[in-house]
Amino acid sequence: MGDHAAEAPPRDAPGRTHGVAVALAVGLGLAGTALAVAAYRVQIDDFYQPAERALASVAVGLAFLAAGLVAWLRRPGNRLGPLMTLTAFALLVRQLRYSHDPVLFTVFFAVGDLSYALVGHSVLAYPAGRLLDRLERAAVVAAYALVVAFPLAVLLFYDGTRPLIQFDPTARESLFLVTGRPDVVELLQKTFVVAFYGGLATLWIALIVRRLVQAPPRLRRVLAPLLLAAVVVALRAVFESVFTFVDAPFAREHLFWWQIAAVIALPGALFAGLLRARLARATLGDVLLELERATPRALTDALARAVGDPTLQLGFWLPERQEYVDATGAVLRLPEGDERQAVTILGPPGEPVAALVHDPSLLDEPELLTAAGAAARLALENARLHAELKAQLVHVEQSRARIAAAADEERRRIERNLHDGAQQRLVALALELRSAQRRLSGTGSADVDALLTTSVSELQDAVDRELAHGVHPSVLTQEGLAAAISSVAERMPLPVSVDAPAHRLPPHVESVAYFVTSEALANVVKHAGASQATVLVEEDGGVVTVEIADDGSGGADLTAGTGLRGLADRVEAHGGRLVVQSDAHGTRLTAQLPLT
Amino acid sequence: MRVALADDSVLLREGLSRVLSEAGFEVVAQVGNADALHTAVALEQPDVAIVDVRMPPSHTDEGIRAAERLRAERPELGILVLSQVVEPRRALRLFQESPAGFGYLLKDRVLEIDDFLDAVRRVGRGGTAVDPAVIAQLMGRRVSDSPLNELSGRERGVLGLMAEGRSNQAICSKLFLSPKTVETHVHHIFQKLGLPPAPEDHRRVLAVLTYLRDAADADQGAP
Repeated sequence: MGDHAAEAPPRDAPGRTHGVAVALAVGLGLAGTALAVAAYRVQIDDFYQPAERALASVAVGLAFLAAGLVAWLRRPGNRLGPLMTLTAFALLVRQLRYSHDPVLFTVFFAVGDLSYALVGHSVLAYPAGRLLDRLERAAVVAAYALVVAFPLAVLLFYDGTRPLIQFDPTARESLFLVTGRPDVVELLQKTFVVAFYGGLATLWIALIVRRLVQAPPRLRRVLAPLLLAAVVVALRAVFESVFTFVDAPFAREHLFWWQIAAVIALPGALFAGLLRARLARATLGDVLLELERATPRALTDALARAVGDPTLQLGFWLPERQEYVDATGAVLRLPEGDERQAVTILGPPGEPVAALVHDPSLLDEPELLTAAGAAARLALENARLHAELKAQLVHVEQSRARIAAAADEERRRIERNLHDGAQQRLVALALELRSAQRRLSGTGSADVDALLTTSVSELQDAVDRELAHGVHPSVLTQEGLAAAISSVAERMPLPVSVDAPAHRLPPHVESVAYFVTSEALANVVKHAGASQATVLVEEDGGVVTVEIADDGSGGADLTAGTGLRGLADRVEAHGGRLVVQSDAHGTRLTAQLPLT
Repeated sequence: MRVALADDSVLLREGLSRVLSEAGFEVVAQVGNADALHTAVALEQPDVAIVDVRMPPSHTDEGIRAAERLRAERPELGILVLSQVVEPRRALRLFQESPAGFGYLLKDRVLEIDDFLDAVRRVGRGGTAVDPAVIAQLMGRRVSDSPLNELSGRERGVLGLMAEGRSNQAICSKLFLSPKTVETHVHHIFQKLGLPPAPEDHRRVLAVLTYLRDAADADQGAP
C-alpha cells in the first residue's frame, strides 16, 4: 500500500446521477431476486433438494447481492461493490447448473464455479477494491483459470453414465461432449477439488493471515471479522477436498451448513465494516461542534479518535516556509514509501492547506477523510486568524518599542544638552558671580554680598537638581547595571541593599531596569516613610526581574497618578511587565524584562 | 603654580582661569578635549591639570581616561578631576593605586572658591582632595554594628576632613582646634577603626577611604 494518492473523494453526487444509480441498483436487485426464484426452482425440481437447503443456497447469493449493491451505491469509486454484485449473480446462477435442460446445464456448469473464485477475489479486495501485491493477483488469476478450465474439460468427457461429484445421479446432457470418458471426468473433478478446494484455499488462508499480520492496527480491526469468516469458508473448502475422497454422508451434511453459514457471514462482515464507517462519521460531527474551542493539539486528538486511527497526525501547511508543522509547531515530514502510513493532502490542488498522515486503510473510507479535512480546514482558519492577530500584536509591540526607544534617545539627548550646555553655563555664571563677590568683599555693601550669595546658591540648587536626576548616567553606560544601581543606592538617605548580577545586560534592558530602580527608590524616599529598602536584580531563563521592596507604609497604586503608570508603560514598551504590591507593611515593585 | 585647564565649556574655563589667576596661579593652557590636554601638558609641563570628566566626543568619561593616561605617563603631575555626578565607586578606584597628587571634586564645588583653590594647591603639592559630598555619602550610611558608630561627633568631623585630604593643620583651622587636640582625635579614630597609623597625609586618606568603602560594601550585602 505504498500508494499515497488518495482516492478521488466521492463528491456528493448530483441528484440526477444519484437517482440513476439508485434505479440501477433497484433493477439489479429485482433481476437478482428473479434469478433467485429460478435457482430455487431448479434446486427443488431438478436437484431434488429439500426446501430449506435450496432456500439457504439462494440466501447466500441474495446476501451478497444486498451487500454488493449497498457498497456500490455508497462507494461508486470502489471496485468492491461491482465485484460483490457480480459474485452474487455468480452464486445465484451457479444453482442453474443442476437443471436437466442441456443448455442451462452446459452453460452454468462451465461458469458455475466462477462464483467461488469471485468470493475469494472479493474478500482479498476488501476494503479498498484492490489486491495487495503480485502474489495475491497470481492467486486470484490461478483461481479464475482453474474454475473455467476444469469444468470445461469435464464437459468434453461427461456422458452421464456416472454422476458428477456434488450432483444427484440423474444424467445431464453436455452439449460439448466429445467422447464419453467417465474415468477422465472423475480424475478431472478430483484433481480440481484437490487443486482448488485444497491447494488454492490453503494458499488463500495463508494470504489472509499474512494480511492480518501486516495490517496496521486500525485496518486490522476493520478486516478481522470479514477475514475470519473467510478463513472459515476456506477451511470448509479444504475439508471438502478431504471428504471428496472419504465417503461420509454425515460429514457432507454438516459441511453444507458450514458453507452456507460461513459464506453468508462474509457480506455480514462487510456490512459491519460499513456500519463502523458511518459511526465514525457521527463522531466526527461531534468533533466539528467542539471545534470552536479546539486547539490544534485537541483537534488532532479528536480527529484521531473520530476516524479510529490513534496514529493520525495533522500537519498545517506554512506557505512562507514551504513545509508542514504539527500542533506543537514542530516540522512534520510527510512519510514516503512507508507501507504503514498514507498521506492525504487537504486543500485545492497545488495549494495545500493541511496534510493528514494516517493509516492507509483510511484511504478506503474517503468520506471520513473528507469530513476530517473539513474539520481541519475550519481549525486552520481559526489558527490562521490567530496567527494573523498575533502578527499584528507583534507589529504593535514593535512599534511601541520603537517609540519607547526613540523617547529614550530623546531623553538622553536632552540630558546631554542640559549637562553640556545649560548646566555648564549655570555653573560658569555662578562662578562669575562668586568672583565678583570676592572682588567686592570688604568694599561693597553687605546687601550686595548677601544678594550675590543668594544668587549663587539659587544657581547651585538648579544645577544640583538636574545633576541629581541624571537620567542616563555615564556609570550605567560604562560599568553596567550593578554599578549604576549601587551608585543610586549610595545616594539614598536610607540603607538600600543591592543584589545585582555583575555581568552586562543588553543596553535597553539596563536602561529600563535602571530607570525603574531609580524612580522606585525616589518614590520610597518621597512617599513610603521606609527605614530600609532592597533592590534585587535576577536573570533567569531570558527574563530579567527587578524587584524593589521597602518596609514603608504602602499606598502605591498603578492606577492612581501618572508616576507608576509611566513606569509601567516604559517597562511594557520593552515587552515587560510591572507588578505593584503595596500594603501597610511595605511596597514591592517587580518588573520583568525579556532579554530579547 | 602652573595649571592646565581641560573643559569643553569655554565659559566655565574662562571663569576658572580668572579665579585661578586672581589667586596667583599661572594658567598655562586652556583646552576643550583630552588630546589637546595631552599636547598642552607635554608642551607646558604644568604642576596641576584640572580635568572635566565629560568632554567631547562622547561626553561620558573622556576626562577619567585622560587622567588615567596622564598618571601613568607623568606620575609627578597633579590631577584634579571635576565630575558632574557623585559616583564614589569610580572616584575611589581612581585613588586606589596612588592617591598622591590626585583629587576628585564635584563640578559645582568650584563655587566654594576657597575650598576649590585649596584643593588645587594640595593636589599640586602631591596631596589629595576628595569632595565632601563623596565623604558624606560614604559616612552617612547607617550601618549597624559599624565601628563608625562608636566615633564621637567631633571625631566624625575630623574623619570627614581627613578623608577629604586635609592636613592636620587645615583641620585645626577649619574646626578651631589646637594641633594637639586634632592629633589626639586622629589617634583615637585610627584606634577605633583599627587602622594602622599613617604618617603621610595621602596614605592616611587612602586608609580612610578604603575603610569607608569597605563599610559601604558591607552595607550593600546586608538584607
